[in-house]
Amino acid sequence: MAKDDDGTVSSPLAEVELETLILQKVEEVSSQIDSAKHVDQVICALHSLAVRLFPIDSSSICGIFPTISSKVLAAKVPSDSERDEWRHVFYHSAASPAMYRMLIYNVTSHWLSSFPPIARKQVYDSFFIEGPSTEIIQILVPALKQNGSTDKFNFEAIRLNIERLLVLCLLEKEGVHHMVSKFDLQFAGGRNVGELLKTDGSLIISRAAQFLVSIPDRATLKALPLLSSHSFIRRIVIQLLNGAEERTLELYSSVDTSDATPVDGSYFFVGEAFSRICRRGSAGEIFLKDMQLFNLQFQNNCCCLCNHMPICVHREIQLSMKYYARIMEAMKDQYAVERLSETLLRQLSTKNTSEIEAYWVLWVLFNRCFKHENSLRAIFVEKFLIWKVFPVCCLRWIIQFSVLEHAPNNEGSTYPKTKNFFDVVQRLVIVWSKRDFVQSAHVEQQAYITAAVGLCLEKMTNEELETTKDLLSSILQGVSCRLESPIHLIRKMGSSIALAFSRVVDPANPVYLEDICCGNIDWEFGLVSLAKKQQEAYKISTDNAELKISKSDKDPAYFNKKHKNIKDNEKNSKIQILEARKSVLDESIGPELRNNDHIDAKYVSDVDSNHSESTSDSSLQPYDLSDDDGDLQNRFSQLADVSAALRKSDDPDGITRALDVTEKLIRASPDELPHSSGDLVQALVSVRCNDVAVEGHEDSTEERRQRALIALIVSCPFESLHVLTKLLYSPKVDISQRILIIDVMSEAAQELADTTFVTVDQSRSLISSVSENQQWFIPSRHGPLGAGPWKEVEEVGVLSWSHRYERVLPSRPGQVKKGKSRRWSLGKTRESPPNQTKNRFPLYAAAFMLPAMQGYDKKSHGVDFVNRDFIVLGKLIHLLGICMKCIAMHPEASSMASHLLDMLRSREIAHHAEAYVRRSALFAASSILTALHPSYVASALIEGNQEISNGLEWIRTWAFHITESDPDTECSTMAMRCLQLHAEMALQTSRALETAGSSSHRVSISPSMIKDIIIPPSTR
Amino acid sequence: MSAKRPPPDPIAVLRGHRSSVMDACFHPSRPLLFTGATDGELRVWDTVQHRTLYSTWAHSGAAGVYSVATSPSLGDTVVSQGRDGICKCWVIEEGGLSRNPLITFRTSAYHFCKLSLVKILSCIMETHQNSCQELLPEKAEAGLNFDQHESVNVACKEKSVQVSSLPTYGPRMMATAGEKAEVELWHLNEGKRIMCFPHSSNSGCTGNSAKQKGLCMAVQAFVPPKSHGFLNILSGYEDGSMLLWDARNPGNPLCSVKHHSEAVLSLTVDAFCNGGISASADNKIIIYTLDYQTGSSSVKKEITLNRAGISGTSVRADCKIAATAGWDHRIRIYNYRKGSALAVLKYHSASCNAVSFSADCKLMVSCSEDATSALWELYPPSA
Repeated sequence: MAKDDDGTVSSPLAEVELETLILQKVEEVSSQIDSAKHVDQVICALHSLAVRLFPIDSSSICGIFPTISSKVLAAKVPSDSERDEWRHVFYHSAASPAMYRMLIYNVTSHWLSSFPPIARKQVYDSFFIEGPSTEIIQILVPALKQNGSTDKFNFEAIRLNIERLLVLCLLEKEGVHHMVSKFDLQFAGGRNVGELLKTDGSLIISRAAQFLVSIPDRATLKALPLLSSHSFIRRIVIQLLNGAEERTLELYSSVDTSDATPVDGSYFFVGEAFSRICRRGSAGEIFLKDMQLFNLQFQNNCCCLCNHMPICVHREIQLSMKYYARIMEAMKDQYAVERLSETLLRQLSTKNTSEIEAYWVLWVLFNRCFKHENSLRAIFVEKFLIWKVFPVCCLRWIIQFSVLEHAPNNEGSTYPKTKNFFDVVQRLVIVWSKRDFVQSAHVEQQAYITAAVGLCLEKMTNEELETTKDLLSSILQGVSCRLESPIHLIRKMGSSIALAFSRVVDPANPVYLEDICCGNIDWEFGLVSLAKKQQEAYKISTDNAELKISKSDKDPAYFNKKHKNIKDNEKNSKIQILEARKSVLDESIGPELRNNDHIDAKYVSDVDSNHSESTSDSSLQPYDLSDDDGDLQNRFSQLADVSAALRKSDDPDGITRALDVTEKLIRASPDELPHSSGDLVQALVSVRCNDVAVEGHEDSTEERRQRALIALIVSCPFESLHVLTKLLYSPKVDISQRILIIDVMSEAAQELADTTFVTVDQSRSLISSVSENQQWFIPSRHGPLGAGPWKEVEEVGVLSWSHRYERVLPSRPGQVKKGKSRRWSLGKTRESPPNQTKNRFPLYAAAFMLPAMQGYDKKSHGVDFVNRDFIVLGKLIHLLGICMKCIAMHPEASSMASHLLDMLRSREIAHHAEAYVRRSALFAASSILTALHPSYVASALIEGNQEISNGLEWIRTWAFHITESDPDTECSTMAMRCLQLHAEMALQTSRALETAGSSSHRVSISPSMIKDIIIPPSTR
Repeated sequence: MSAKRPPPDPIAVLRGHRSSVMDACFHPSRPLLFTGATDGELRVWDTVQHRTLYSTWAHSGAAGVYSVATSPSLGDTVVSQGRDGICKCWVIEEGGLSRNPLITFRTSAYHFCKLSLVKILSCIMETHQNSCQELLPEKAEAGLNFDQHESVNVACKEKSVQVSSLPTYGPRMMATAGEKAEVELWHLNEGKRIMCFPHSSNSGCTGNSAKQKGLCMAVQAFVPPKSHGFLNILSGYEDGSMLLWDARNPGNPLCSVKHHSEAVLSLTVDAFCNGGISASADNKIIIYTLDYQTGSSSVKKEITLNRAGISGTSVRADCKIAATAGWDHRIRIYNYRKGSALAVLKYHSASCNAVSFSADCKLMVSCSEDATSALWELYPPSA
């Protein structure tokens, strides 16, 4: 170890002599302390050594302990030079460890508590404060470890004392700062980092850093608040940075060339400390102080930035913040660097930093490393672009810094792009365009990468697009597979990219594939607000029985539009994009054409103005001249005419008129309806509404067709379902028609289920029928006359395990009402008998469900539900779920449920690649859970009906699996809800079993049986 | 500009006919309306009380009433025409029509042309009598059998200056289509054919051209100003062409123009006889002007419709507005001077057959295949 030269120059011989002298002295002190009977003696002994090493105010000690004053005053006070020499030798000899051990253990556990504060400061703390912090740390920190107490030492006291000393040395006396400057003294010189690492010095530095950073972990909970991780690290970071800054000023005041890189120990130490801080998860503390600094710096340099003079900025920032760059260079721990830069980015984004500022912060910190080290480049280009998810503003900075590699500018002047840029873009686009990625990545991740691709695209020009290999085809592929998605957000991502792409290709002719109205694309895709909403929705969803999927898809018009968009987009997106490209090529013809248009427009406007002039002066003010031909068409009055007209595809007017009247005709249910229904169904399904309808009226035409089909199913279910289900699997229809079929079936099922009748009075029926509107778990209406209806009461807890109901009861005969309000009058409870609804659906449930289920996994010509037309599959499963809901609590439910469960359990549905299908499956499973009457489940258990019980158990495990591992958040939320429903069902079933057990003793069910089958513990 | 007011509804709907109402016309001075239907019924309505005053089976059920016409020059007489070519002249009596027609005569054939009485400009009435006598010296005087004073008294009750100045005499003639694409001029008093355009004597050369034009589909007779009372006739043909004839030169038309691409269904001349409006089976309405000096007709305004087929046209006596009756169930009102559209009247639920204005400009009647006639009040004259 190199010996420093701050003390007086002494010969080696004198040093050895001094060392033995000091050892003797230490031994003497030690023996004195061991034999001491009173605190005075201890102080006296310590003083005798301390006075030789440190400048001590002996008189203050004398004032407190008059008994030892003679001894203390008698001690010889050495001169300054002598004292320095002594101290130097003391700290480099074996004497110091022995002395410290004694101080820490012996003195602390027995005597220190009785030291008066001044004496403690003078003769005890001096040893620690005046000593080199590097050594002190190495002595103090390991001592923190020990626990408990033996008869010899009181470890509790020792620990408290060490903690006090650490705070004193490191924080109050800025020991850390000293350490930084100490290390640079030790390792200054022309050696580079590589060499440095090989030497013992680096080990010492690392260990010191490790000890330093581990202090908060080693400290006990009862320790001083200053030693808590948060505040301790913040404080040492400040000291470390100050040290580094000082060091930088020192270095660069002499060395002016910026490229000269004298690596020294202090940077290495700070770097090591930072790495460890990052590893311990406190990276945020590092930049906390300097965020202000950064901002200030950049405000000062604003003028330079406006003029785009990087050199100037370079210089300015360099002097004050060079040390940051140096520290970053010194940090060798990749993981720590990654954490650090990630934290930096996030902190910058919360501070609303401008793009220019952020760019320069990144530049200052990482520029040198980025150029020279591939690992840092990989962190930015790979991890930050592809694997992590940052806010979009951070993404912009990352792209600006690591991909574009030049300062942002507003003028749009293009910098030549590096090869690296094209590599990165290509890699991004390839990741982005993969179908697997669309299916399996989280929405946030997808949005992030989409934004990255979009932002890169925005920076490119048409020529660059063309020259980059495979870019075009990948983008087309990615856009088209996104536009097929049933999830709105994903489609929006696809269309945003298409828009960005088309803008690059031809700025004058952007392609708007969906309802992106504004000029600027929102690359966040509203995810921030979405996340918030989702959280809220999740809170509510525990009370809300309706699943989200049904909510969003319930509106048929909404879905039609959606699905039409999908269809159109699918076809058109490629064409549109290609056309956009073509139009660029044709640009030479463009201007003249445009001129022509212009002239035409002018001419027309002239004519118009003449025209308006001529009419305005007249006394004959025109009436509203708008005219529709709604009354002109002749009406259809026969079903046969209607279906004939629908088949004439060359007469769009006829088709529209036929569609107008079809529903009415069907609802009138003429005698011939059953005979012509099949024909009519076929005609309605095959009508092409979009071709027929007048521009802008497609939706209403489509809706009329749907309503007609619904009416048809409702009025003669068997005949029309027979045809519809056949058509569903027919190769002759396309996706939109299949979706139409499924939509109308689900609407019809719901309509059949809520058929309304106004009945007179059913409240006194002797046998309670299950087909009644009232659900089984609502208490019966019986009670005193005038009782109000039951109302559900909100449960307070998180999960509502059961339902609670309350109702208004009339007062008893003798009861006297007090209070003035009229609201308490008896008249209020009188209610008109409610409309009774009768569920007609169970009768037709089999006709709805079984044929629809039978062929979902068949793959034949034009029919491939499982893979290609997964949207149809998803809708189909959703339909089946709705059917289950419609037969809820009916006997048919159990038989249908087993079939549906069979279908859901097949691998291609339960673990379908598309989240949409999984959502539908979860919906269907939840509806099974709500549809089964607990008594059926109970009887299935008693009779040993394996299908039902296994199926229900499967739902539970499957839902559990999804909550744990599904990438789609919606899926996991739904699965959670599904589990909850399962638990509720299990509870109800066990109640049913209990009542069954108590009422009839013939059937005995052991509690273990219930447990095994219904609520199998997850640990099994 | 704010939303325009909606088009008006009819002030009254006259129901009672049991089949398509083919034609309607107002009495020139009294509040009476005559309508004829395809089942042969001719009704007389009170336009104040909106009810039927009288009804008669004027023509056989198979033929039906094809046209009814009144004219100030005919006084209290109404002419009806059946599809079979039989024309009848009825005297308007107290409480209806005469039990039997004044005269019945059979025109040449079964055709699709409504008859036309002679339209006379009021200011040239004075010279008119003479000219008529010049034209038809031996026959014209026979028509003056009506009491002039009576009709003037009635007219005074109406407080209409224009009407009161009208004499009840005039050329009691009517024009209609004849056989072989001819236009025939008949004398109403005697039921005899007077003239034929083109003149049968030299039909050799013009017959061919007439044949190419097809049947005569519409005709309008009038006495233009400065013609010294000589009768002019406009006739429209199947191929869309229109000929202007002068009674003094029945051999050759004054001019021949072709404004339409389909059969001309209706021709009207305005009250000043300076022009008129024509409509056809195609989707155009033409407002044209007539220039007698050069013997030419030019298009003043061409209106293109969305839906083809106009079966009837009419210009109000003050020449402010014109109306058309369309196959598309609509009555359309135009500013006659400018040709701009003013209103689209929707009431009828079937094809409209005819439209007509009252002489005092206050009322308009439209009649339609839906067996109704509707009375409208549009842009009442400010006077």
